[in-house]
Amino acid sequence: MKHTFIDQYSHKESLLHKIDPRIKVISFLVFILFVISTPKDSFLKFGLYGVLIIGLILFSKISPWSIFKRSLVVIPFTLMIFLFIPFFKEGVVMGTFFLGPLRLEVTYEGLQILGNSLAKAYLSVLCMILLISSTKFSHLLKAVERLGLPKVMLLILSFMYRYIFVIYEEFLKMWQVKEARSVGGSRLFQIKALANMVGTLFIRTYERAENVYLAMCARGFDGNIRTIDNFQLRRGDVFFLLIMILSLMSVRLV
Amino acid sequence: MTRKAIEVKELNFSYPDGRKALVDINLDVYEGEALGVIGPNGAGKSTFLLHLNGILRGNSKIKILGIEMENKSLPQIRSRAGLLFQDSENQLFMPTVFEDVAFGPLNMDLSKDEVEVVVKEALKEVDMLDYIYHHPHHLSFGEKRRIALATVLAMKPKILLLDEPTSNVDPKHRRDLINFLKELDNLTKVIATHDLELVFEVCSRVALLDQGRLITSGNPLEILKDKTLLAAHSLEVPRWLSS
Repeated sequence: MKHTFIDQYSHKESLLHKIDPRIKVISFLVFILFVISTPKDSFLKFGLYGVLIIGLILFSKISPWSIFKRSLVVIPFTLMIFLFIPFFKEGVVMGTFFLGPLRLEVTYEGLQILGNSLAKAYLSVLCMILLISSTKFSHLLKAVERLGLPKVMLLILSFMYRYIFVIYEEFLKMWQVKEARSVGGSRLFQIKALANMVGTLFIRTYERAENVYLAMCARGFDGNIRTIDNFQLRRGDVFFLLIMILSLMSVRLV
Repeated sequence: MTRKAIEVKELNFSYPDGRKALVDINLDVYEGEALGVIGPNGAGKSTFLLHLNGILRGNSKIKILGIEMENKSLPQIRSRAGLLFQDSENQLFMPTVFEDVAFGPLNMDLSKDEVEVVVKEALKEVDMLDYIYHHPHHLSFGEKRRIALATVLAMKPKILLLDEPTSNVDPKHRRDLINFLKELDNLTKVIATHDLELVFEVCSRVALLDQGRLITSGNPLEILKDKTLLAAHSLEVPRWLSS
């Protein structure tokens, strides 16, 4: 069975991978805060933030190509902005288009908003991808738990990570069984079969959830989640946090 | 006189749709005994096991190691009677093997160091120590089953309840498991299975269930050789026994 894993590069060994997950979560959040609070016309700063994050990517030994591929998720969202903002904003008109009877005006301010949101969204997404790729998911969960995320949300995330592939595999198996018996048939029939599969999958998932709960009870689960972690802050971690904040501050002051 | 490890009196249980799953079951299991529960598909073997750990609660009086099954005694009972589920995928629900095996001991309020020791011991016993930081999803079926067994052993139970422990396990690891169960002779074991060889080698007594009723219980050799009895309940005398 084939599937891509959220944290498939998290087993590599680089300095970035070794940094305490809590420190990574904090520094990357700070990075995002700096990026999104940058004034919209400071494209030099966006460039420098970009250099910083690309530096970190190279430092992490994760292939830049794979990170680039993942970062494309941001496109559909910015495309929405692209479709709306430049055409419905007042300001200095840069050009006019005619789309049939529609008269569309592109303004300088509109383009600026587009560029600004594209840069901010892309830098933040790169940062998140790097965080997830360089940290094991279980460590990431522990880190956000220590940083105060409620345990219920934590458990939901942890179950999602544990079972999403199981459910996906169940779907793949059903799909294969269907394909193995699909010889012709109308398109409508195929869609009906798919709808049934989704329904079956839902019921199975529901039943599985009940069984998992029973298995938890069988091992003494009483509603309280107990976990242990072995995080230990080292000098290198604090150093990393300081370097991150210093470089962000200096970009800010450029 | 050995003590009763499990005492089941007039156990009745119906599914929510009204179908009767267990009817008037009376059964005692003594400490150190290994009871094999056999029967056709849908006989109620799994349902019976689920009652011994308090997961299902029919209207009955069940005592585990002298402790009456009640809401407030459930934590005590669950730490003493460990249940290995049929589907290991559901039993391994944490992001890593370590956290999964640690789940039970942590619920028993052991300290961090103690937990680490029992987890490693349990994984060593099932020969899976190398997988301690793996994600359960990447493992094979047999490996998952062994880790599921470790999650139960880590709680240091007095009673082992095993639901189809050898199904879908390759011959080598099935043999390892049988030998391992034979070595655990200080534990009380209840094993629901279709694997009659396992029953014959490990169990000191056999209970035959069909349609939720306890048909008979007794010496494994006598029951496993009884052609007419087994045939009447969709079972078969194993070849290696009949010749």
